[in-house]
Order: sequence, then structure tokens, then C-alpha cells
Amino acid sequence: MISWDYFIYFAALSVLLWIAGAWKAFKGARKSACAFTATGLLVFGTFIGLLWLSLERPPLRTMGETRLWYSFFLPLAGLITYIRWKYKWILSFSTILSIVFICVNLLKPEIHNKALMPALQSPWFAPHVIIYMFAYAMLGAAAIMSIYLLWIKKNPSEDKEMSLCDNLVYVGLAFMTLGMLTGAVWAKEAWGHYWSWDPKETWAAVTWFSYLTYVHLRIGMSNKRKAALYILLLSFVFLQMCWWGINYLPAAQGSSVHTYNMN
Amino acid sequence: MWNNSWSIKEGIMACGGLIAIGLVLYLCTGPVEWSSFAWPLDLYILGFYVAALIILFLLRKKLYFVRWAMSYNAAVPALVAVAFMTFLMGMIKQVPVSVSAGDVSIFHRMISFWPFILVYLWMATIVGLVSIKHLVSFRLSGIPFLLNHLGLFIALLAATLGSADMKRLTMNTRIGQTEWRATDYDGNLYELPLAIELLNFSIDEYPPKLMLIDNATGNALPSGSPEHLMLEDGVKSGKLCGWNIEVLDKIELAASVNGQDTIKYVEWPSTGATYAANVRAVSADGKNVASGWVSPGSFLFPYQALRLDSICSLVMPDREPRRYSSDVIIYTESGKKCNETIEVNNPAEIEGWKIYQLSYDETKGRWSDISVFELVKDPWLPAVYVGIIMMMLGAVCMFVTAQKNNTQKNSES
Ligand code: HEM
Repeated sequence: MISWDYFIYFAALSVLLWIAGAWKAFKGARKSACAFTATGLLVFGTFIGLLWLSLERPPLRTMGETRLWYSFFLPLAGLITYIRWKYKWILSFSTILSIVFICVNLLKPEIHNKALMPALQSPWFAPHVIIYMFAYAMLGAAAIMSIYLLWIKKNPSEDKEMSLCDNLVYVGLAFMTLGMLTGAVWAKEAWGHYWSWDPKETWAAVTWFSYLTYVHLRIGMSNKRKAALYILLLSFVFLQMCWWGINYLPAAQGSSVHTYNMN
Repeated sequence: MWNNSWSIKEGIMACGGLIAIGLVLYLCTGPVEWSSFAWPLDLYILGFYVAALIILFLLRKKLYFVRWAMSYNAAVPALVAVAFMTFLMGMIKQVPVSVSAGDVSIFHRMISFWPFILVYLWMATIVGLVSIKHLVSFRLSGIPFLLNHLGLFIALLAATLGSADMKRLTMNTRIGQTEWRATDYDGNLYELPLAIELLNFSIDEYPPKLMLIDNATGNALPSGSPEHLMLEDGVKSGKLCGWNIEVLDKIELAASVNGQDTIKYVEWPSTGATYAANVRAVSADGKNVASGWVSPGSFLFPYQALRLDSICSLVMPDREPRRYSSDVIIYTESGKKCNETIEVNNPAEIEGWKIYQLSYDETKGRWSDISVFELVKDPWLPAVYVGIIMMMLGAVCMFVTAQKNNTQKNSES
């Protein structure tokens, strides 16, 4: 039976493979860059799969477990972006982010509970969270890109760089929309209503409208680049609020999913 | 006509103006009572609103305002305003409807607050107008646009207007009895066109866990991220905060018996039985040893902890439910009769009602003879689902065409 004790070995091997992939990408060796990254994903994915089997439930419940998915999807998103848009640096970047989440998991392990409350035992649960994690990875990449364009890069942003942001947001927002809507359908099956303005849903709505603002601003007023990048960053702050911030937000305390109904 | 040149400034002013009007409306008329929009009023409002949008659209050549409302100059500030009002809602604790409205300030019930509603209405109006525009000049390449915008329009309108027609009632049933009455949040009693007979209620629980608690505070240890040891089949020993725990004996259905100065547990397969385990704990340095029974207790028996040393005790918290379900017979007025098993995430559906497993008598846990159901009727649900499915397809389109949109745009600019 696999457990978190083995995580460090799988993670170390994956990280080595991802670094090799990133290095090859810099050198311009596209095929081997993809091969290394994909093998790293396979190793990491194997750990998730085995953990899933030994927990007898999808590993999606604790923060540590969702970080696991995040570390998986970042290089995956990086790989897809690399194959599609061929940015040399994207793999290094996704690898670094992924390493951050792996380190958090190694340094701050949580004692993982095997029990899954009945409301979470739904066929909608796994797709809902996995889709959201993928969206988070894409939008996280877009946020880093916006920081780079706003403060690190000295020259004004180029069309190509802005269109990378746009693409990341389109894909991220598409997945976020799917995550939100699968969540709504699941909520209907589990709790009797698809939308109840509970804190998590409210913050998901804030985040969603914020990204929609970015999209429409970029299409409709494409010369307002700075404003768009600031909105992109702010949207990512909202996303953090939705993901874990509400655990610390006084306004969101004490409203569990069962005392949930506002309508 | 052409000297009209409203820009984003007017868009911002429109939103500011709506918020101001909303405040005035709130001061004059108070919060919006959504429940007063019940059938058929919501249908009239829907018809009127859509007709108004169509007429506005037909007059677009004459009304500059309408053409402007379909532009990004109107849309972007509207989205910002909606995000902002929703942000306020997220920052201020919202109080559920089960708390009576009189005691609650309006900011704790944003969905009844006029500025919030007007800003959403303005956004819906823009989405509605651009949807009509793209419907009228329909092109295949406009399908993703329609899926996103028309889908959102349908889902938003149906969900909002339909909320007054939704019924959510709670019904308590007891094994062997048939119940047809249910209550709403305000405690009003309803007689339903269907009845539920509870045949059986059962809970399947996770294996029990052992944990350490602080003798002084009662908090689980180590504080912040408590450890636990799950007593699954085959688990004979384990470690908790340095203590070596060995399980000598465990009884699934037990009763406690008072011995001379200790408590013992014996096999007792009957209602009210509790789980019990006989354990031996040895501290990390081997100096402290404690042994005895631990049990979470039940409604008949008290819980039993084992004191390890002056700092901590070993306890067994209540077992968590893995699954709970009710076997029922549902009778309807029209003479139908059907057997169903209702559990969390698996509601029963009959004649427009969905019946959810809500809860049980938690003081009795697995021995509960009461099952609580929630009955939900939402006649607008199909319309909401049409909107949701359209938006899902729209999202898939957005993903697929992400790159294409961009290359087009770049070649235009
Ligand atoms: C479901 C979420 C939404 C998505 C995915 C979305 C996406 C888009 C896209 C990709 C375009 C450009 C379409 C094209 O040029 O063919 C667009 C245009 C537009 N959107 Fe949205 N949008 C959404 C919601 C909204 C909302 C809530 C509003 C209202 C505030 C809005 C107002 C507009 C307007 C006015 C246009 C310009 C329409 C035109 O040029 O005919 N959209 N939207």
C-alpha cells in the first residue's frame, strides 16, 4: 500500500525529469523536452493513482491532496502550452511553480483523513475538483505572466506576450466555467439547490466576473494593456480567496454546506 | 446620430447611477421580497422584460443608447460593477433565509438589496441585447458567442425569477409510520400531494479512530494538525504522538459493565450498543504504560477515555458516517406507489418533487429511528439546465477556439 511516506521519492524523480525537460526546451530540443516532461508527469500521476487506490477515494479532500493535483497540472498545462505555442521558457516556469507546491507538501504535511463525508461521495466530485485545479494552474500561469509584464520586463509588452496571457485566460476561464457549472449540477443532486450564495460560491462568482472583465477589456479595448494586466492579477487574488482565503475570512465562518440556503 | 460618442465614461456613470437609484429605492421601499414574485407574476415579468429587450433592439437605429449598450464601453463597466457588488457580498457575512428578515441588516442579505439587483439587471440587459443581435444576424461562427451569452441570460433569468416558485420543505419520518406533512423555513405546515412511509433507516460508518487529547483543554493533539489512528480491519497497533498503541481486543457491538474499580465491555448486539476497544499504550521512552477500554459511547452508554499521563488521554471520537440511507415507500395522490432507497447524493424523484436525504436523529447515531428528508420542487429547473448546458458547450468552444480567436485578432490589428 502506498502512502505519503513514498511521496518524496516519486516527487524527486518527477522533478528531475521536469528539470531535464525544461533544460532541453531551452536548448531547443523540442522532442526530448516533451518526452522528459511527459515521463515526469507519468511518474507523478502514478503516485496520485496509487494513493487514490490506497485511500479508496479520490485524493481531493485535504489541502495537501489538492496541492498534489496542482503540482501535477502545472507541468501538464506547461507542456500543452509548450506544444501549442512553443515558448521556450514555459516549462522552466511551470516546473518551478510545481516544485513550490511539492515543497509545501513535504514541509507541511497534513495528517490525511481517510473518511469522506457522504455529500462528497458523488460522481461529480472528482471531475469538479480536477477541472478546477487545471483552471487554477492555467490562471496561475497567467498571473505570473502579468507580474512579469507589469514590473519585471522593462520594455512595453509585445503582442505575442499579451496573446499568451489571453490564451491562458481563455483556457483557464473555460475550465473554471466548467468547474463552476459541474459544481452547480452536483450541488443540486447533493443539497437540493444549484446555487445558494454560500461563501465559496459567492467568491467563485466574483472571480468569474473578474476574469470576464479581463476578456472583454482585451477584446474591446485592446490598447488598455496595463489595466488588463492589473485586472488579471486582481482576479488571481480573488481566486486565492475562493480557493483557501475563505477559510480565514471572518465573513465566511460558520456557514457550512448544510446551513446553506439563501434563496 | 453620428455625433453621439458615448464611451466607457458613460458606462461607469450608468453603473454609478444604478447603484444610486438602487439606494434611493431601498430607502423608499425597503428590501426586495423575492417570494412575492411567485407564479404567475414571474412569467409576466419575464414576458414583459424579453419583449422590452426586443423592442429596444428593433429601435436601435433610432436609439443611440441601445447601440451603445451593446458595446464593450457598456459591458466592461457593468462586469466591474457586478464583480464589485458580489465582492461586497463575499466580504460581508450573509445570513440564511431561515433567520427572520426583521433582525438582519440589508448588507447581510445582499440578494434583496436594490443596488445589487439593478447592477445584475443591467448586465442581464446587455447580455440579452447582444444575444438578440447575434440571433438576428445568425452565422455559424456566432454559435460560441450565443452559447455563452444566451446561455448565461437564460440561466440567470430562470434561476432568479424561478426562485419564488421553488418549494423546499423538511419532513420528519419515523420507522413504520407514514408522513405527508412538511414544514418550510418559517415553520409553516404544508400538506403534500404525496406521502412517505419509512421502512428502514441505516447508517454505514467509517471504522473508529483513536486520538489523543489534552487533559486540561480537551483539544486534540498535536494542536493544529491532530493525528489519529484508524482502527480498520487488521490494524493491531500504531503510533500517536510518540505513544505506541497496541489494540488487544475490540468489540463492534458492546455494552459497558461496571467492574469493581474499572469499566469493562462485553458483547451486546442490541439497539444502543457502542464500539469499544481494549488498548495498551506505551510512551516513547517506555516508562509510562497505560491500558484499558476506550469507547465513543452511544445514547445509552457514556464515552470512555483512557488517561495516559498527566498531560494527555486517549479517546475514541464518534464514528463518521460513510453512507446513510432510507428505504421508503412513496404514495402519490394519483394512486402511484413506489419503493425507493434515498441517500445523500441519490435523491428520489416523483411527480416534480425531488426527495433528499437530509439528516437523522444525531443523538442516536446509527440507532436513529428517525429520518429527515428535504422535499424540493423547482418548476424552472429545466430552463436553468438549458442555460447551464449552453454555457458548458460555450466553455468547450472557448477552449477549442482560444488560439484561433487570437490569431484572427492579431492579423486584424
Ligand atoms: C459566459 C460568459 C461570457 C463569455 C465566455 C464571453 C465571451 C465573449 C467573447 C469571446 C466575445 C467576443 C465575441 C466575438 O467577437 O465574436 C464577447 C463579446 C461581448 N460580450 Fe461577452 N462573454 C461572456 C459574458 C458576457 C457578459 C456577462 C456581458 C455583459 C456585461 C457580455 C457582453 C459582451 C458584449 C457587449 C460583447 C460584444 C458583442 C458584439 O460585439 O456584438 N459578455 N464576449
